[in-house]
Amino acid sequence: MGATLVLTEEEALEVLAFLVSAARTQLTEAAEYAPLRMLTAAGRLAELMGPRASAETRAFLAGPLRAMPDAALRSANPAAYADQLDRVCAALARHLVTHFGLDRGAP
Amino acid sequence: MTNAVLEAIRSRRMVRALTDAAVDRAQLEAVLEAARWAPNAGNRRIHRFVVVENPIAIRLLRMMAPGMFQRPTAVIAICVDFGRAAAFGMSPDNRGPYVDVGTAAQTMLLAAHSLGLGAGVVTSFSRAGAKEILNLPDGWSAELLVCLGHPAAAQPPGMRSAGPRVTWQSLTTWERFPPRSA
Repeated sequence: MGATLVLTEEEALEVLAFLVSAARTQLTEAAEYAPLRMLTAAGRLAELMGPRASAETRAFLAGPLRAMPDAALRSANPAAYADQLDRVCAALARHLVTHFGLDRGAP
Repeated sequence: MTNAVLEAIRSRRMVRALTDAAVDRAQLEAVLEAARWAPNAGNRRIHRFVVVENPIAIRLLRMMAPGMFQRPTAVIAICVDFGRAAAFGMSPDNRGPYVDVGTAAQTMLLAAHSLGLGAGVVTSFSRAGAKEILNLPDGWSAELLVCLGHPAAAQPPGMRSAGPRVTWQSLTTWERFPPRSA
């Protein structure tokens, strides 16, 4: 695990602007857009951090997270949507365990 | 039954993957000219269009537009001049201006499609943020962004509607609804 910086100030501002704007738009748009907006934010962050991230993180970003369709909505198939998100979360957790070295040392 | 207009309506899609190629000025002007003919309540013309081609301005708009999946090379902000609406005696909660935003948008989308451009609309964006980025005059509000560009060869899947396939019949009722059963 290192302290590699993966975002420039401009890129961080881009993500910040998206998150704040999404908080505002979510006040009036369909509630099912909430996870969509969070995933879009994650996708934009992934796109920005990818080039400077470790090879392992890059592999995660390009894999399960990228596999979520950009415009997928829960209402089209609620169970499948939840399953797919669970798979992304599980893959992310596996990556975190490895990246933070939880699987290498004693607790 | 079909003709060129009906075929254009049926074949138009929200285009979310665009190339980096700029949209020709003549094409932008053709889209704007088409919108000038869109149905407009009372012919009051309270809408204004702001065309954005500056890549930095588009980038900033996109930062504040959670619904902007695409990376357009041109954006047309359909704005409502609420000061002008008030001058006509329209109350702030009058829905008419928003209907006219829709007619202008659909006309632009069809015009863009007819020219071979890719287009999509975005309603999920910060109005307050867009107002600052575009330096809109007092009383103006950007209510919808029309994203334009040249379609990429591969397109991501669109939003799938819930439930059974929508048909015009499923959306339509002829005449009056039947009496409710007791």
